[in-house]
Amino acid sequence: MGRVTLKGILAHKLRLALTAIAIILGVTFIAGTYVLTDTLHATFDALVGSIYQNIDFQVRGVAQFPTKDAATATRNPISESLLATVRKVPGVEVAEGTVSGSVQFVAPDGTLIANGGEPTLGVNFDPNPQVSDLRIVEGRAPSAPYDVVMDAATAQKYHFHVAQRVKILSALGTDTFTISGIAQYGSANTLAGVTLAGFTLPTAQRLMQEPRQLSNINIVTRPGTDQAAVGRAIARVLPKGVQVVTGKTVLAEQTSSIDQDLSFFSTALLIFALIALFVGAFTIFNTFSILVGQRTRELALLRAVGATRRQVFRSVLAEAAIVGLLASGIGLGLGVLTALGIEELLRGFGITLPAGALVFEARTVIVSLAVGVGVTVVSALGPARRAVRVPPVAALGDRELDAGFPARRRAVAGAVLFALGVVFLASGLAKPEVSLVGLGAAAIFLGVAILAPTFSRPLASVIGRPFVRVLGVGGRIGRENSIRNPRRTAQTAAALMVGMALVAVMAIYSASASRSTTGSFDSAVRADLIVSTTSSDEAGTVNPGLPHVLASLPGVTASTVVYGGQFEVGQTVEQLKAISSGGLADTIIVHMVSGSLGSLRHGSLLVDSTTARRNHLAVGDPVRVKFALSGPTTMRVGGIYQPNAVIGSYLIGDAFYRSHYADPTPGAVLLDTDGSSRVEMLVRHAVAPYRGLQVQTAAEFKKSETAQVNRVLGLVYALLALAVLIALISIVNTLMLSVLERTREIGLLRAVGMRRHQVRTMIRSEAVILAAFGAIIGLLLGAGLGVALVASLGSQGVTITTVPIAELVAFFVLACALGLGAATWPARRAARLDVLQAIATN
Amino acid sequence: MTATTTNVVEAARAIDLVKAYGAGQAQVHALAGVSVRFEASRFTAVMGPSGSGKSTLMHCMAGLDRPTSGQSLIEGTDLTSLGDGRLTELRRDRIGFVFQSFNLVPTLTAAENITLPVDLAGRKVDKSWFDHLVTQLGLANRLGHRPSEMSGGQQQRVACARALINRPALVFADEPTGNLDSNASAELLTFLQHSVAEMGQSIVMVTHDPHGASFADRVVFLSDGRVVDELEAPTADSVLERMRTLGS
Repeated sequence: MGRVTLKGILAHKLRLALTAIAIILGVTFIAGTYVLTDTLHATFDALVGSIYQNIDFQVRGVAQFPTKDAATATRNPISESLLATVRKVPGVEVAEGTVSGSVQFVAPDGTLIANGGEPTLGVNFDPNPQVSDLRIVEGRAPSAPYDVVMDAATAQKYHFHVAQRVKILSALGTDTFTISGIAQYGSANTLAGVTLAGFTLPTAQRLMQEPRQLSNINIVTRPGTDQAAVGRAIARVLPKGVQVVTGKTVLAEQTSSIDQDLSFFSTALLIFALIALFVGAFTIFNTFSILVGQRTRELALLRAVGATRRQVFRSVLAEAAIVGLLASGIGLGLGVLTALGIEELLRGFGITLPAGALVFEARTVIVSLAVGVGVTVVSALGPARRAVRVPPVAALGDRELDAGFPARRRAVAGAVLFALGVVFLASGLAKPEVSLVGLGAAAIFLGVAILAPTFSRPLASVIGRPFVRVLGVGGRIGRENSIRNPRRTAQTAAALMVGMALVAVMAIYSASASRSTTGSFDSAVRADLIVSTTSSDEAGTVNPGLPHVLASLPGVTASTVVYGGQFEVGQTVEQLKAISSGGLADTIIVHMVSGSLGSLRHGSLLVDSTTARRNHLAVGDPVRVKFALSGPTTMRVGGIYQPNAVIGSYLIGDAFYRSHYADPTPGAVLLDTDGSSRVEMLVRHAVAPYRGLQVQTAAEFKKSETAQVNRVLGLVYALLALAVLIALISIVNTLMLSVLERTREIGLLRAVGMRRHQVRTMIRSEAVILAAFGAIIGLLLGAGLGVALVASLGSQGVTITTVPIAELVAFFVLACALGLGAATWPARRAARLDVLQAIATN
Repeated sequence: MTATTTNVVEAARAIDLVKAYGAGQAQVHALAGVSVRFEASRFTAVMGPSGSGKSTLMHCMAGLDRPTSGQSLIEGTDLTSLGDGRLTELRRDRIGFVFQSFNLVPTLTAAENITLPVDLAGRKVDKSWFDHLVTQLGLANRLGHRPSEMSGGQQQRVACARALINRPALVFADEPTGNLDSNASAELLTFLQHSVAEMGQSIVMVTHDPHGASFADRVVFLSDGRVVDELEAPTADSVLERMRTLGS
């Protein structure tokens, strides 16, 4: 039997190769994702390890709010005087204070230097080899207030050298510094894309912290001392709100923070890999069904000469396993290449990953092969079962065997699966729980795929009607061919159905999200000009002095500064906005439900109506809150407003804000103007020196908000295109088989006068009808899923449900065009059939 | 310019047709220089033992296959000079086919199968001619049926109607009764005979059945790729007699 299996594979090389593409693409995705994220993991872990490996203890402020990610928690600074106290603790050999924050170098061409979204670090430069991996490679450490040490990668990339002047943007604005030295981390010239500026301690404190305050203190103990005892001794001398943790703890926190970021990234990529494989599974199922159908006689002959059912079953599955294994192997290799490519891409962006390069774990190989082979074999189970049912007598006749599910059972099975899927999906969306949503969607797709043969004949026949009218006899026969085997029609279209459904979901989601964003800004902003940071990062800030400058420009009639921060309400950390109340009526539209906006001036807390309802708050109610700087306090609810896109859920006055936050960070300035172009020019001129800030008209602002949604969408569409591509293989496969099966028929048509172009028209019509069938079901299904998804996102600001009909129609047309493309090869083959040979074929 | 000056009009003619397969020593001649005329409004049978080249002759004369050398003419047009497009048009408009089996497109109804050549040409069906054929062949109540819902005899009659729908210069029938029982065979052959006599149709039928050949006006005998004999107004017995002498 083994030889029969192998011969079978060789005989259908082409069709199996096409099937293999589906597996190859999916496995490439999986392997690539693993290799890339493992590599990034190892890289970051090594870097973080090299930074913290020498530190035994770290003294730092207690995290202000309970958080999962200790590494990025907001902490109060600690007093510099603690340094002397800690140094006196017996067993402490070295204790160095660090100040760190965010500053940015300005490139010679005036742009801000940032490697993608990587941090732009500012620190006090302390090259004590016992606590820091930083090494001066050229020049000297900073000693004067305007000295700075630059990381080697940045210096190299922008051709900075020692003694040159460089501008640096900090919370205080732009200042000019002199490069005193170039530094690097251990042997790496960069910390995975992070830029670094090192200052003297006072300068670092001035730029990024309060005077005489430190971010933390790093401690190295004397060799041979009892670590735990030293730790306890340090803890005893620390004031309230300051803690000591071991270097290992810090390392673990940093590592887990990186893990969280990377796992989000890898999960997203793996989801697309699974989608590709899911669609691929339909293609594989279709191909093996076709192969089994085509080999009915051969299988019957095997049975007639004595092969057992089990042998036939195994032979089909073995074929699937071999194809799956080969394809997975290729996919694995391509995945590594893809990861390499991405690494090259990162290098292009100036992010050099250290040597040691690709991490290729056993898990990558095992999962890739297991998933690839598993999907192939499982998809071939159904066809294999059908192969078993071929009776030996079929070897004699030439009747077509159709040993599938009886129609009734099929309908019931499909409906049950569909209903289960709806239940899973609904509960998954309600929770929300992504894996449940995925499971539900998969069950719905399978259910519809099982049901599809029951309605493929009438639907395809309706779709085909225009072909009969426009394309004449070629179109008519194409249409008839597309419905002669309803199950094959449904199987072929199933893969495309899934792809198109996902595309429709994304189209509806993005249209709804865009409309919701635009709509919410329309009802929130009255200002003509908006000054904000170019980075989408919440931490981006406007220079505190700038709002005054802007407000005094001629033509500016009103200005409002919006600040951002965090505070604790009840047990959770929430985002909070603060606004200056002067001129508010001309810049931001606030609809009060109850209470007054004026109460902001008296230190009241305002909440939006959604939040008020959820937390059962009314005007006058006391609320227990906690601020980082001042600790717990009770605020009174001064008013409740309708949800507003600019000011969010919680709002306080600017005076109150300034007294409760260490460094006021204006997030945006909203300006109402006389509308002249001169004032816009003045504002742009005033903002120009501050790099990292942008001036937008209200319309531009809205556009940039929706552009964010669309940027992500572009990537998602690109990834879904992969799924659609795999789906098209299904159509090519089916058509190639149809051409083979109908060789005599095509020969007859040619004999009685069908011209070659009419043959092509016939095959193409069939392809387009198949594609249209899959696309229609897919788009309808996707529209339903999309509307359900959007409905479940109401609480996240997607309040308007929009079904972009024009876009969906465009996708439909695109699917038909792709179907036409898929027909190219089969159509050519059919048109080139030799008439005489075709007639003589049995 | 007419192809002939005799009072019998010529429907098709082969001039020194050669069809060779393979090359050099291994070369086999399916047709070794066949020259034959098929007159219009006559029913000609082509007979010969298997391997005699009778099917190859039909294929070459009907524009389904290209001869190695020689000419084949339909109504004076040399098929060997035509490209695939013109050849296809000629088959569609001037030639009718009835094969032994698999004559019909399974997805089309009887009526659609009959009008297929007209539809392929994008022309209008001559309704009265269609009705006439359908009535003659007794297919009036079968028009909406698909091939799978018809008997073998009915299917062959649909094929006959399709072959005649364009009033072709010549109908080629390749063992048209090969898969039929004797009743259905007789019915079909009678119709073919009738269409020649009543409608002036020209028919060439390849067969190996002496009884079938007896329905023809003339029989041409082939052996080893050559025309070896002819017989006018054949009977089953006279045909059998000739076959026997050929076989020996």
